[in-house]
Amino acid sequence: MLTGALAVAMVAMTAVTAPAAVAGASAPSGGTLVVASSVFPPTLDPTANAAAAIDEVFEYNVYQNLVQLDPKGQVVPVLATSYNVSPNGLRYTFNIRRGAHFSNGDLLTPADVVFSLKRAANRKNNYPYGVLLRGMSSVVASGGKVVVTLKQPNNQFLYDLAAYSNGIVLDPATVKTLATKPVGTGPYVFASEVTNYSVTLDRNPHYWGKAPGVSEVEFRYFSNPNSEIEALKTGQVQVIDNLSNPEDAKQFHGAGFKLINGPTNGKIQVTINNSAGPLAKTKVRQAIQYATDKQAILQVAGGGYGRVIASDDVPGDPWYMPNLNKSYAYNPAKAKKLLAEAGYSHGLSLTLTLPPYNYALTAGPLVQANLDAVGIKVKIKDIQWPLWLTQVFSKHDYQLTIVDHVEARDISEYGDCTYYWMYAGCKTVGAMLSKAQGARTLAGEVRGYQAIVKRINEDAVNDWLYNPDQLTAAKSNVVGLPGSGLTESFDLSHVSIGGSLGPSFVAQGYSP
Amino acid sequence: MISYLARRVAIVLVSLFGASVVVFAVLGILPGSPAQVILGTQATPQAVRQLSAQLGTNKPLWVQYLHWAHGLLLGQLGRSYVSQQPIGPQIARALTVTGPLVLFALVIGALVALPLGLGAALYNGKVSGTFLGALSQVGIAVPTFVGGILLIIVFAVALPVFPSSGFPGWSQPGQALRSLVLPAITLGLVEGAILSRYVRASVLDQLHSDYLRTARSKGLSRAQALWHHGMRNAMVPLVTVLGLELAALIVGAIIVENVFSLPGVGQLLLNAVDNRDLLVVQDIVILVAAVVLVINLLVDLSYHLLDPRVRDEGQR
Repeated sequence: MLTGALAVAMVAMTAVTAPAAVAGASAPSGGTLVVASSVFPPTLDPTANAAAAIDEVFEYNVYQNLVQLDPKGQVVPVLATSYNVSPNGLRYTFNIRRGAHFSNGDLLTPADVVFSLKRAANRKNNYPYGVLLRGMSSVVASGGKVVVTLKQPNNQFLYDLAAYSNGIVLDPATVKTLATKPVGTGPYVFASEVTNYSVTLDRNPHYWGKAPGVSEVEFRYFSNPNSEIEALKTGQVQVIDNLSNPEDAKQFHGAGFKLINGPTNGKIQVTINNSAGPLAKTKVRQAIQYATDKQAILQVAGGGYGRVIASDDVPGDPWYMPNLNKSYAYNPAKAKKLLAEAGYSHGLSLTLTLPPYNYALTAGPLVQANLDAVGIKVKIKDIQWPLWLTQVFSKHDYQLTIVDHVEARDISEYGDCTYYWMYAGCKTVGAMLSKAQGARTLAGEVRGYQAIVKRINEDAVNDWLYNPDQLTAAKSNVVGLPGSGLTESFDLSHVSIGGSLGPSFVAQGYSP
Repeated sequence: MISYLARRVAIVLVSLFGASVVVFAVLGILPGSPAQVILGTQATPQAVRQLSAQLGTNKPLWVQYLHWAHGLLLGQLGRSYVSQQPIGPQIARALTVTGPLVLFALVIGALVALPLGLGAALYNGKVSGTFLGALSQVGIAVPTFVGGILLIIVFAVALPVFPSSGFPGWSQPGQALRSLVLPAITLGLVEGAILSRYVRASVLDQLHSDYLRTARSKGLSRAQALWHHGMRNAMVPLVTVLGLELAALIVGAIIVENVFSLPGVGQLLLNAVDNRDLLVVQDIVILVAAVVLVINLLVDLSYHLLDPRVRDEGQR
């Protein structure tokens, strides 16, 4: 599993403090903001289901974490007013915000934080990202503080706590009703839902921070991308969180609209099953890298919004190496040569299994044509997502597939020998990971991860295509939307209709 | 009559039982487990097993079937695996959208089909009749989703008369009705076009019948003869088709709800299939099956009112 942020450990001992009472968007004018999105949250409980649609609405908006990510992907203190890390990197001390209340009026206490973190780490509770907290050996409250002790140093711990639903702080009195009556400490409180249609959030009257600039937010769901676009054009919604078809972005430049694009953590990749047949040979996998014209695929499938990649390495990673992504530049002749060296001068046949997502269905035929040009015959098989999860992801019954690995800093999957690409070098990478995670300096950590990024690039474990941008389209008077897709949350803490955004929030990556 | 009724009801019950077995068996072999979808790409095989056990989806199929069927008999639709909410109220809420939509579409369908079909029959062989016939062919040929998008472009974007999508709920009845206009027209036009073919054929049959020729020889015009003597007979096949078409409308609603983003039964069903929320799928399918069977039962019974020959047969 992935994740992590550096921010921390090397900082050993340094305390990080939240800015005091922050000024949000000016003009808390009120009004309702309607945000169009595509997937209705299958449940309201982010601790019970991995669907990103739940986190999009509820994280940071309704629930908050001790520390969170800003839209630039940096860790910032939220329910902790400050924190520090012991020199050995094992003990994290969080000062818990005083006087903050849950939306039902209950006071936030350090005991609630301890309860929430323990609940997340407990296997029985099946938190989607619970595994990220299993490195904790103890969580205790003392005075106004919470002290977390780790079994081993982990530089990614604060990022892990900030990025996902495992870090949300719950009111213990409400956990039985999370699926119907979510209660958190965030700027908004859940108001109502209409299944498959909308989720409405109101301003939280008990919010400890500055109230958001709108009194109500309605997320409205469109399973049809064209309907979503028409709804924005006719004023039924003011924002589309992320355009399903990048091609649609062009019509929202100017003329009363704005397009906000910034990187996601996604890696759209041809995942290769390394375990058997020709694909077990490094040269064949390298040939596939050289054979795919990634720039052309980015133009067609991603509308040109994003960047070509050549490893599990994107701008949100502290160890990002833009130059490495120039490797494996499109070179069909070299691909043919490598195939011949691997013993496939007469070509070979492979199956490409595609999940029902726009990017995969668009990129699939392009990859097929690219590979065909170097003598690899590709048969395309379309399947539904639940089947993809069972057949491809769980049972490893596939050769090639195209999928967007959306999780941040998920390079640790390459050290997992059971993960679905079945990488032969997993044990080596596992050892490299432990070293990087335990590094005592920021530079040491970055070096450690960069070594892994290069290693999997050389082994051509997968054919990484591109890192897509999040494409948010909005009426031009909507201010304070997140400027990237680096957080799971569609963070509306600072949004307003009209008004302007303080420079400190612009610096954090909220869109002016 | 009573024995006839009892026989028909028994057939409905047996059919429902058969439908429940088929639905369950088909979903049972559908690949992809609910637990796997809930846990997503973060899932370890161990976590999937644990959640399957909590949901009860790891039990033998026949045990799961009996559990479900037992609940149905008691009128309990169960709880969704995914949203953890009771299913009955979810379906009831979705029906407040799909029900009015289908009825509205049926009315529009009838309003289109009767004049179009009658006209095509009465002017059969003339240019105007051929034109009306061709019009209905076009209606049938245009797929629902294309028709819907065209209507959105004309009546929501170019001339903003109706909302392009969404449904505000019945707390605002005027707005709610307005939101159903374009979806109902989309659905109703296609149904109307299909129905008009049956109306035309059925009316033509009557026009060529001996008794109508007799009526005309008494001095009635074609239209008068048809109105006074033929219509009732022409209605018998139409009522049958109408019953079947109502089922088609429910299916058509799935597409139309998608295009217009309406939170109806179709959207509920589609999302449930995507999430492998199998209990919700089973419940909806069995309810739709029940509705169709009951409609057909009512259609059969209505023959009694329309056609005395059936009534006599039923009494024997």
